[in-house]
Amino acid sequence: MINVIVKCFSQVKYALGTHELAFELEIGTTTMGLNKLIREKAEGKLDGVSLRVAVNQKYVPEETVLYDGDEVAFIPPVQGG
Amino acid sequence: MVKVEIVNGPIDFFPPNNNHRQDGAELTFNGRVRSTEHGKNITALEYEKYEGMAELELTQLAEETVGKFPINDLFCRHRVGKVNVGETSLHVVIFSKHREEGIDSLSWFISELKKRVPIWKWAILEDGSRVPSECVH
Repeated sequence: MINVIVKCFSQVKYALGTHELAFELEIGTTTMGLNKLIREKAEGKLDGVSLRVAVNQKYVPEETVLYDGDEVAFIPPVQGG
Repeated sequence: MVKVEIVNGPIDFFPPNNNHRQDGAELTFNGRVRSTEHGKNITALEYEKYEGMAELELTQLAEETVGKFPINDLFCRHRVGKVNVGETSLHVVIFSKHREEGIDSLSWFISELKKRVPIWKWAILEDGSRVPSECVH
């Protein structure tokens, strides 16, 4: 098993009601699999929201294998400026 | 040269600089908080950042802009936390030899900032409630 932390911002934080979640996952789990778990946890509140993914503070492809200790963020459309 | 900062509190504007003798253009952009959002009155926006990644992405973007366009300096300060209506949330100054590349680079830099730097807005409505902003402009 691996342990990862998910940082939550904006609509993701609003949908899940927390700024951070910890997950214990099967070895080989990808960001796509974790994205599915996050959306299930949000119970529909993230339907239609596009989420980019960052691992250890860098944007990564949609399907990226996760490793023990990774910090993951599902990034809703950004709004700086 | 690139100077980038994300600050929690009022922005100190970069002062006019008369020592850029090789630059014919100095462009300043101040992004300010409007009083309405999607037809609703607001009192402020609250900006949230992904600590660490926001600084990294903004710095990389500024360096990329200076590499992509023939400009000499790009200075940027972005504010996070609560920013009241009328106050500045984004301050950018670009020095370039000619006006055209300065304007093009400023426009590109801000457009890219709005696509990739992990900063978000929460709207503070008149009743005090706080909701994720729907604005993506």
